[in-house]
Amino acid sequence: MTDTMTAAGRRTNLRLWRGARKAGFPTLVLLLGPALVLFTVFVVIPVAQAAVYSLYRWNGLGPLSTFRGLQNFAALARDTIFQKALWHNILIVIVSLVIEIPLALGVALIIGRSNFKLAVFFRTFFFMPYVLSEVITGILWQFIYHPQYGLIHSIAALLSPTSPAPVLLGNPRITLWAIMVVIIWKYFGFHMTILIAGLQDIPVELQEAARIDGASSGQVFRHVTLPLLRTTLQISMFFSIIGSFQVFDVVWAMGKGDPVNAAETMVTYLYKFGIQRFQIGYGSSVALTIFVICLAFSILYRKLVMREER
Amino acid sequence: MRRFACLVGLLVLLPGLALFAAPVKFSFWHIGTSPADRAYWQGLADQYQKMNPNVTIDVTVLENEAFKSKVTTLMQSGNPPDVFHSWGGGVMAEYAKAGLLRDITREVKSWGKLMAPGVLGVYASNGKQYGVPFDMGAVVFWYNKDILAKAGYRTFPTTWSDLLKLVGKLKGTGIVPIALGGGDKWPSHFYWTYLAVRLGGKAAFDGVLSGKGSFNDASFVKAGQMLLDLSKLGPFQEGFLAATYNDQAALMGNGKAAIELMGQWAPAVEASNAADKKGIGATLAMAPFPSVAGGAGAPSDVLGGGNGYAVGKSAPDAAVDFLKFITNRENNAALAATGEIIPTAIGADAALKDPQMKLVKGVVDKAGYYQLYLDQFFAPAVGGAINDGVQQILAGALTPAQAAASIQTTFEANK
Amino acid sequence: MRVMAESRRRLVSSVFLYAACSVVTLIVVVPLYISILGGFKTMGQLVTQPMNIPLPLMASQYTDLLVGKVGFYWRALVNSSLVAALSVFFELALCACSAFALARLHFRLSSAIYNYFLLGLLFPLAVAVLPLYIQLRGLHLLDRYLGVVLPQVAFQIPLQVLLLRGFFKAIPTELEDASEIDGYGPLGFLWYMVLPLSTPILATSGVLTLVYSWNNFFLPLLVFNSEARFTLPMGVMAFQGVYASDWNLILGYLSLAMVPAIMIFVFAQKYIVAGLTGGAVKG
Repeated sequence: MTDTMTAAGRRTNLRLWRGARKAGFPTLVLLLGPALVLFTVFVVIPVAQAAVYSLYRWNGLGPLSTFRGLQNFAALARDTIFQKALWHNILIVIVSLVIEIPLALGVALIIGRSNFKLAVFFRTFFFMPYVLSEVITGILWQFIYHPQYGLIHSIAALLSPTSPAPVLLGNPRITLWAIMVVIIWKYFGFHMTILIAGLQDIPVELQEAARIDGASSGQVFRHVTLPLLRTTLQISMFFSIIGSFQVFDVVWAMGKGDPVNAAETMVTYLYKFGIQRFQIGYGSSVALTIFVICLAFSILYRKLVMREER
Repeated sequence: MRRFACLVGLLVLLPGLALFAAPVKFSFWHIGTSPADRAYWQGLADQYQKMNPNVTIDVTVLENEAFKSKVTTLMQSGNPPDVFHSWGGGVMAEYAKAGLLRDITREVKSWGKLMAPGVLGVYASNGKQYGVPFDMGAVVFWYNKDILAKAGYRTFPTTWSDLLKLVGKLKGTGIVPIALGGGDKWPSHFYWTYLAVRLGGKAAFDGVLSGKGSFNDASFVKAGQMLLDLSKLGPFQEGFLAATYNDQAALMGNGKAAIELMGQWAPAVEASNAADKKGIGATLAMAPFPSVAGGAGAPSDVLGGGNGYAVGKSAPDAAVDFLKFITNRENNAALAATGEIIPTAIGADAALKDPQMKLVKGVVDKAGYYQLYLDQFFAPAVGGAINDGVQQILAGALTPAQAAASIQTTFEANK
Repeated sequence: MRVMAESRRRLVSSVFLYAACSVVTLIVVVPLYISILGGFKTMGQLVTQPMNIPLPLMASQYTDLLVGKVGFYWRALVNSSLVAALSVFFELALCACSAFALARLHFRLSSAIYNYFLLGLLFPLAVAVLPLYIQLRGLHLLDRYLGVVLPQVAFQIPLQVLLLRGFFKAIPTELEDASEIDGYGPLGFLWYMVLPLSTPILATSGVLTLVYSWNNFFLPLLVFNSEARFTLPMGVMAFQGVYASDWNLILGYLSLAMVPAIMIFVFAQKYIVAGLTGGAVKG
């Protein structure tokens, strides 16, 4: 009885699911349809609408009002605060590439060794900041940096009771760097994990062979490890750079880019000058600009740096 | 014939009955997040629902900043709440211009003499009423009597130059002379605006609005210069450029700062931010903003504002009735008794217990010219520019003239 | 002689490496430590002795938070969990299917659709805020859990498809041939072979979605009106708004909000590394 049922069931299955590599249209619709629909409805269409808004001067209330063509973009290019924000984003990219990724790589190299005890222990702690929400991170570090109650203030008071507390977030010259410390603290563990995964793919024999051949640790690293780590590093850097252009939550949570735009980034600028000031058209032009920058970078990166797999 | 009459009678009565029994629902958004406030507003909603069993009120409570972004999004999507917190002025006028608010001029007129016309006017635009305030006070100086006494001041300075002298005496005593939440920006703009009010008076602001004058006028530029001179004395706390208003209130409430320039809610907020939750109590006193030598404005001119509720375009009649309920003399007085507001309803000020609050009410009543806080008075873009401009002056990023010019540019772009 | 010098050098470098790691660990952990301890202190203790363990421990502050006398922790926790669970479920279902189709099936638009998805990596959520809001309103999804879940899933599709596709591509064709011989079509191959083999990468994908959903602040702020639906990050912000200068209480709430995230992570982290090790990253 059961056998017949199974056989019949399988025959039905065969009829519906036949043909492994050449998939029929219905199969494709079933597999790709839902994701395509969701993605289009909630990501692509809103962004397309934002593109339309960017051509208008509109306060967001009521219907679209004044058509301004590309004037929003022209105003954007002229605005010194936006230029400042863009420069800050570039600084963040540079710091990520020069400090965060080498740090992650260094730690990955140490922990990724097979004979490193407590690897799991350290790895857990290093990854932890990534798991915390940006809101929590922002408030936590606001507390640490607080000039009257914070940790830095308490430590400074212990070390030199007479001098005034160091002002970090309130000092326009320092605040961006103070925030970058937080960004590195939060995200280096993520890159470390990716790099550890990449490292573990490198056959140990290759490194051993090089060492037996008389290479020093540095040479092993430069000529064996690094080349084989190349793809992983490329991916890590790609995400790091895109993330640096789009950074918002942590910066916003730690002072909204102020005082005096000292920590302004493109997305905080969008939120402040676009949404908060009821200048939706202008804000949308900022958004589109960010998109174009990321797109251009992405295309260049893939062409020049990454090689498409066959 | 009789049957027909009965039928007609029924048909006439039925809708009427339906109106009485028809269930009505509306939303009520407020920003009273402290446990006491929450209880107060919920209590009013519950009371109203009990008196009108067919009414259901959907209460939403949001913290100040979250409320501002939420309401912005709601407005921009064309979907305003029915009864929601508002500070009146230009921001509310923007909503009205876009047709998002319900015109309640007729209803409010029918309520009779509820409150002074000037007060109601803050929530009107183009002659039409769109909301009703429950709190309208003034921005004044709040100071710690003991600290000032130690510096040799029995009363608060009455002139600006005397104030600068006081700051000089307070520096170096380990007390912060002036607490300022420069990170939030709006506390700083009080100084700039008050100085402009003292220097140029109503005429200066009328000039800006009519186009005959501008923010580049001497009053505004000089106001910035005077503020810059004050900040050069180093009166504010460390890191004030990133400090929040709560930081400012905490400094006062914990007795670590001598002076703050703030609205009528200052004593209550100081207490809630103090470590002992009580603040400095009777040691706190208020004083009107000092006069400025050679200023065209009157010393009785006041910068202030308050809190109230606006009505969304699709709000039912019950919502407007609810608004009348919460701003009537009895309920207004109950809130006034807690010391958090300066009540608007005529006669409710009898419930004010705190002598300092009574003084604030006195300042409001005597004002010849009453200016609403600029970041609410003007459209959001201009308000933002003013707040940013003042911060830039304080940080030394722009000169007072440059800051004034950038504000004027934004003002013109948004006319 | 050389061997001894060698092993001594190894020992020194080991010690150095462990020390370096410990320093980094300290920098990572001290903020978290301060936060957890802070919840037990009064404000005075917090300012003057941030690092010390306070005696007596004011456990009442934590219990007040947990019991809900102050703030609304549990409700926010439940909301966050619900939204996260739904997001992970939909995300895995949709992305596994799509990634499979893009990785193993040959059809003309495959590359185009893949690149279409990848475009999604390039916009931050802030770009689409207002149109998205209007969209959600039109679909009557405001103040509903799905109003947060569906856009969240949509915005994560690019990353997850990228991840899963790479892994699926690495599955050897012999397995595919074998399943065809057994009479299974593509769906059968997916269900009976690919998915069981992919548990590590699916776990990774699930965890990444979980973290994203758990920490998302902007989207729930946009969609939820009633406090009853606030998620944990919103709860934190609201709490800070009310208890603004009570940093000890805020740190306490912060710590309670961190604990579930950290617990999830500790439990799931081996999946993350296993998944990323499985060659998915190279894809």
